Amino acid sequence: MAEVPPTRMNQQVFKLKLKAAQGGHRLLKKKADALKVKFRDYAKSIAETKSGMANDASGAYFSLTQAEYAAGNFKQKVSEGSMTARIRVGAGVDNVAGVKLPVFSKYETGASADNQSLGLVGGGKKIVAVREKFTNLLEMLIKLASLQTSFQTLDEAMKVTNRRVNALENVTIPKIEDTLAYIGRELDELEREDFTRLKLVQGKKEEEQKAEAKRKALLPIAPGKENEADITAEYDAGDDTDVVF
Amino acid sequence: MATPHPTRGTGDLTTFNIQHGFAEALLRGMRSSFLKDADYHHLTQCETLDDVKLNLTETDYADVLADSNAMSPAAFQKVAVEKLVCEFQYLRTQTVEPLSTFMDFITFEYMIENVMLLLKGALGGRDINELLEQCHPLGMFKESTMRSIPTFENSARGYQDLYQTVLVDTPVGPYFAQFLMESASSRSGGSYNVLAEVEIEIIKSSLIKYWLEDFYNFTMKLGGHTAEIMGELLRVRADSNAINITLNSFGTALNEPAMRTSDRKRLYPGFGHLYPAGIANLSDVTDEEELGRALEPFPQYAAVWNIHASGHGDKTIDDAFYERDVQMLELAFESQFHFASFYAYVKLKEQEIRNLVWVSECILQQQKDEIQNFVQVFSQNAPWRK
Repeated sequence: MAEVPPTRMNQQVFKLKLKAAQGGHRLLKKKADALKVKFRDYAKSIAETKSGMANDASGAYFSLTQAEYAAGNFKQKVSEGSMTARIRVGAGVDNVAGVKLPVFSKYETGASADNQSLGLVGGGKKIVAVREKFTNLLEMLIKLASLQTSFQTLDEAMKVTNRRVNALENVTIPKIEDTLAYIGRELDELEREDFTRLKLVQGKKEEEQKAEAKRKALLPIAPGKENEADITAEYDAGDDTDVVF
Repeated sequence: MATPHPTRGTGDLTTFNIQHGFAEALLRGMRSSFLKDADYHHLTQCETLDDVKLNLTETDYADVLADSNAMSPAAFQKVAVEKLVCEFQYLRTQTVEPLSTFMDFITFEYMIENVMLLLKGALGGRDINELLEQCHPLGMFKESTMRSIPTFENSARGYQDLYQTVLVDTPVGPYFAQFLMESASSRSGGSYNVLAEVEIEIIKSSLIKYWLEDFYNFTMKLGGHTAEIMGELLRVRADSNAINITLNSFGTALNEPAMRTSDRKRLYPGFGHLYPAGIANLSDVTDEEELGRALEPFPQYAAVWNIHASGHGDKTIDDAFYERDVQMLELAFESQFHFASFYAYVKLKEQEIRNLVWVSECILQQQKDEIQNFVQVFSQNAPWRK
């Protein structure tokens, strides 16, 4: 701040800066709050999805065991299938307080389900159940992936925003305020200096006036020159008011 | 289809033991290898797979488990299947005709599965050696056949060659030929088209159907107790296949009106309690309600169906069929002087392996509530013994 010349113009400039910084701080604070709310939401639904998934996953894998009990080992046949994805994951963008969050959504490709007749001579119904359960699980998994990624992005964004808020609050604004205070102080100082200087000049002038008056009183007025003397007396320096620069 | 004619009969009460006494004696000895109620009880009390393994070391599985570091349900299954195959092959080497042909028939089911796996896998460009590992060991072909499969080029032409030079020589070749012939008559195209276009499960079901019919004919020709008991087992198996195929076709392309007669009907075996009147009804069925009605005239299947129709209880239709199977197989195993006990042995062991996998999976996945939902073999607490 020392490099800032303490002038009225600079004072104006810094006053504007302070105002901008405070405005920005207010906005960022709002954003940080919004992000925090969203962040908590996401954390909550992640926790919910995860705890739900533990059950669903074990249920799905157990239904696989049940199907294998009923239909024998059919993994081999599944892996010999056409392997065209029936479900794909699409990525979209969600906007939360200006932060772009990735959102995954599943969509069906429309490919026909192969191995429809799996377990034809036994266990077909169980295999259908397995198919259903794993489709559900996949949905959950996609949801969780979406939440988890958003959560991370949000976390990152929140850190940046908080850093900015703190920087504005604790560094930038105090710095500007300090500068403003310094400028104000310096300007006051200058004013006071001027004032004392003027006082001094006035004092000196008064002394000189007195000395002049004394000298005039002592000086005898020459005969025939009274008028002249009077004329000049009218233009005496003492009669003029002080010129202040 | 040219069902091989048995070279001689099975013999009756007085003459069965001349040829097959030793093999049957061996089989009776294996009765003690089944897990007992107490074993199952201990297994279901286990907390970890370590405990399961520890408990299994006090059963007949001790020797095979001692040599392996199996520690997962799949690994237990592998070990148990290997043990079964080993016992089966030992039995097979002790048999003479016609029992040896009968035992070969038992393996054809697994061969069909393996052929389908190999063909479909190879068509999808998979590594054949990898596929060979996944084949059921009971349905393995001769080593030379297995080795020759990977030598064929990976193209439609190559598969036709593979089929014409290798697969026709395997015991399940005729079933394949029949399927291809029937498919060719209903639509145009070579064998590779059928392989690429028709779903693997449908081909498999067709082949299984031909096998069941063939097996049934062979059993009938054997005559005597074998025809009586094995015939009953196969008839029930054919019926349950037909019911399952109908039930599981709902919601798939097979249930479309055009496919119902052209494709689904062809999957129903040509014998059994349901054949021919019941099968004729089944082929027009479009939903579960109609299926229930079609089964009404058959009390034994109506009972099974009611378990399914009564909603989401503890039991599903698969459990009901398994229970029925086990009951019949136990009876077949425990009667004497016929071949059906060999079939029953393999099937009961299979159920036991399924149970073992079920229990260990339940323990692995911490699903203790469901752990009792399997069908015990030779259990004193079975519903039909109470």
